[in-house]
Amino acid sequence: MSRPVGVVGSGPFGRALAKAVARAGHEVILWSRGAREAPASGIRVTSDLGTLAAAELSFVAVPSQHVSELASSLGAHLDGSHFLVHVNRGLVGDSLETLSHVLQRVTPCRRVGALAGPLVADALARGTPGGGVIGTRFPEVAEAVTASVASPSLRIYSTEDVTGVEVATAMVGILALASGYAQSQGMGPGALAVMASRGMAEAARLGTVMGAAEVTFFGLAGFGDLLAAMLGDDRPEIRLGRLLGEGKSLSEACAQTGTNIEGVDLARRIAARAARAGVQVPIAQAVAGVIGGELSVAQAVERLMTRRPTEEHR
Amino acid sequence: MRLLPTKPIRLPRLRPYVPSPEDPAIFWFNSERDDIVSEVSRRMVEAHASSRGALEQALNETAFQETQRLRSQRGEEARESLGFWYGLLRRIARMTDEEKRETLQRIADRMAKDVAGNFDPRVYALSEKVVPRLLTAAMNPKGLGRAVLQPHDRIDQLLEVEGHVEKLRRLVRVATLVFVPTHLSNLDSVVLGYSLMRAGLPPVVYGAGKNLFTNPIISFFMHNLGAYRVDRRIRAALYKEALKTYSCVMIERGYHSLFFPGGTRSRSGAIESKLKLGLAGTAVEAFARNQLRGIDRPVLLVPTTINYELVLEGETLIAEHLEEEGKARYIIEDDEFSRLDRWLAFLQQLLGLKSGCIIRFGDPVDPFGNPVDDDGRSLSPRGEQVEAASYVSRSGKPSLDPSRDMAYTRHLGEVLVDRFRRETVLMSTQLVAHALYRRLVRCTPGVDVFGRIRHRGDVSMPRRELVQEIGAARDALLSLERQGRVHMSSILRSEPPDVIVDRALRAFVGYHVRNAALDVGAEVTAEDPTLLLFYQNRVVPFAEEIADEPNMKAAREIARMGGLR
Repeated sequence: MSRPVGVVGSGPFGRALAKAVARAGHEVILWSRGAREAPASGIRVTSDLGTLAAAELSFVAVPSQHVSELASSLGAHLDGSHFLVHVNRGLVGDSLETLSHVLQRVTPCRRVGALAGPLVADALARGTPGGGVIGTRFPEVAEAVTASVASPSLRIYSTEDVTGVEVATAMVGILALASGYAQSQGMGPGALAVMASRGMAEAARLGTVMGAAEVTFFGLAGFGDLLAAMLGDDRPEIRLGRLLGEGKSLSEACAQTGTNIEGVDLARRIAARAARAGVQVPIAQAVAGVIGGELSVAQAVERLMTRRPTEEHR
Repeated sequence: MRLLPTKPIRLPRLRPYVPSPEDPAIFWFNSERDDIVSEVSRRMVEAHASSRGALEQALNETAFQETQRLRSQRGEEARESLGFWYGLLRRIARMTDEEKRETLQRIADRMAKDVAGNFDPRVYALSEKVVPRLLTAAMNPKGLGRAVLQPHDRIDQLLEVEGHVEKLRRLVRVATLVFVPTHLSNLDSVVLGYSLMRAGLPPVVYGAGKNLFTNPIISFFMHNLGAYRVDRRIRAALYKEALKTYSCVMIERGYHSLFFPGGTRSRSGAIESKLKLGLAGTAVEAFARNQLRGIDRPVLLVPTTINYELVLEGETLIAEHLEEEGKARYIIEDDEFSRLDRWLAFLQQLLGLKSGCIIRFGDPVDPFGNPVDDDGRSLSPRGEQVEAASYVSRSGKPSLDPSRDMAYTRHLGEVLVDRFRRETVLMSTQLVAHALYRRLVRCTPGVDVFGRIRHRGDVSMPRRELVQEIGAARDALLSLERQGRVHMSSILRSEPPDVIVDRALRAFVGYHVRNAALDVGAEVTAEDPTLLLFYQNRVVPFAEEIADEPNMKAAREIARMGGLR
């Protein structure tokens, strides 16, 4: 690809992604709000969004609550020929609007997608073997993403089910948090496995209501990503869950993990949205209850364990 | 081989019609017709000529589907066609590539000719004068004399046209418009054709089901006003390609078009939420193809809603919706549309209601879902101009890419669904039906839709309460209307709630065989839950937002029932 690749946001993930793209042999334009040093050669740092017009493909790696505002400013420099791909775990507002939808709503760009799966900043930056999935309805966007980051140590799969990828990846954030919490309470592998399986099942229920395909939840964006988190790829959500489990307050725990974590407020919004749609999401509900301080851990566990058993696949 | 048993009736042409330069593209159609047909069949063959397998498969599939279809038909023509297809099936294996190509060319040509319409400016001029007279006369046979003298009065009272008409009048000169209306009744195309005329907008080409061509008078007008024929009985993929290619070529050449993206009439009465995107895709493709040829003419979609106080085929439609098998049956042969007495009863009833039908032309969007300015240029969400061409380009070069265009089409479908809701004009019958149905839901907790159908006339509500609920719901709708999320008929917007209730109850009695609701003194009875369901389904997307606290639970259930969560 002769044109440079844009990365919007210079947090840990944005910088790691920029390095991965540079390693694959592309020129990178890394946008940062403040002045920053280039993390590696081949990466040009800028604070001028207009510079990104030169890139056909840009990755959006800013926290979800900033995506709308930033993308709107970025959109002023772009047109229908640009591709935007975000790497977030968030869903926006009470309606749980997906971020690919936000990108389409606030920018003139239509060719958008979401990059997800077991991709963590550290591994991306170092180039250790791994993989991910790009969700986009546009095959040309999938090709561009693959061309920009894939390498012999990074496999990128693709799917048309963008919504599935986005809902799955958001739910993984919540389940990772719950899993960290459960670990700190001394729960064993069996309990964690039940939580993970039933957690993905409720994610899939909610996802299908929002137009996603069930199968996506059992792929890289869903189970694959959750497995990596639970096997200990040093996910901030797991750390946050543990700290909460150890009795730290939410603000303390957030301060200590030091990164922005999407799952905290999201669990509450997911539980509310699911209730409106008549979909059962007991685990998300329990996480929301515990974080909100309405439930003790013991109560949450009891609630989950005393639910009436049903058929596994309905 | 004959695909078409009936020949269109055309007026003899004594001297060629010479259109004037300011005439819309359709006035030139007849001189371009042959050219268009051959372009369509050329593209169809080209699409299959790339590989030997594709060519043979297209022939095989078409022959197989056609023999299946024709076997169940009687008559000389069907037999003759059947002979052709059986012969083809036998010969395919022995044919050379060149013969296969020639055969496909012949079939494609026939299909394209079968589809292609006709436009006669004389018929257009005639229908401009005749249609309102005929409609008015049909509605009021006794007042025939007066109707012929002042034909527009009554129709104009019956039909209201609103929305972005001024803007569209400008845009027809610089852009190709594709009207995409909601669809509830077979009257829609007639009503819409007349509304375009009245709004000072040019006629459009549109695909009409072949079943509509069985009535010779309607057939005559349709043929000569640029309708092309869609035979839904033909299942062959090649035929669907013929329809799409035809639509694409027409849009490329600047013919304003119309199609119903719902694919068929909304059986449930609800605003379309799932669209058939095949033809919408041709708008995207046509735009891309023009760009590739250096033609920078905008293609714009005009979301349009047709809103009826009463729906001609209401009873049949909802019955079909509720019947599981009904959903699979595509063409209803025997419904109210084919019965003259039902037409007359319907029109008679509707005429008693001022503005019984409102056509709203929405704000047009480009094929990528962007709004446009008065000159048809695409606008970004920030209101800045954006090059529509950029959507079909990479690094400044336009290209054709069917999978990309499919993704755009899906996005466009989502935008249209949203626009349909926003451009819907709610009518008094729909809101009153909603209040009554909501009461029924409230009184029958835990019962499903089929259980509720059986509660005929079981649930009543005090008229006073109904009036009060309508008032509250209307106030909530006013605020939604201010936010641009829906529209209301002028009657619903400004008449006192008891007048709205009266009007709806009057409408409900008399036309449909069963009464939807009955006024029994101080009480109003939910007489026919099925019909109430049909009319109230239009309100479903707004149900939760217009419910007061005591009705919230029922409203939520209604919202979920509609599959809109």
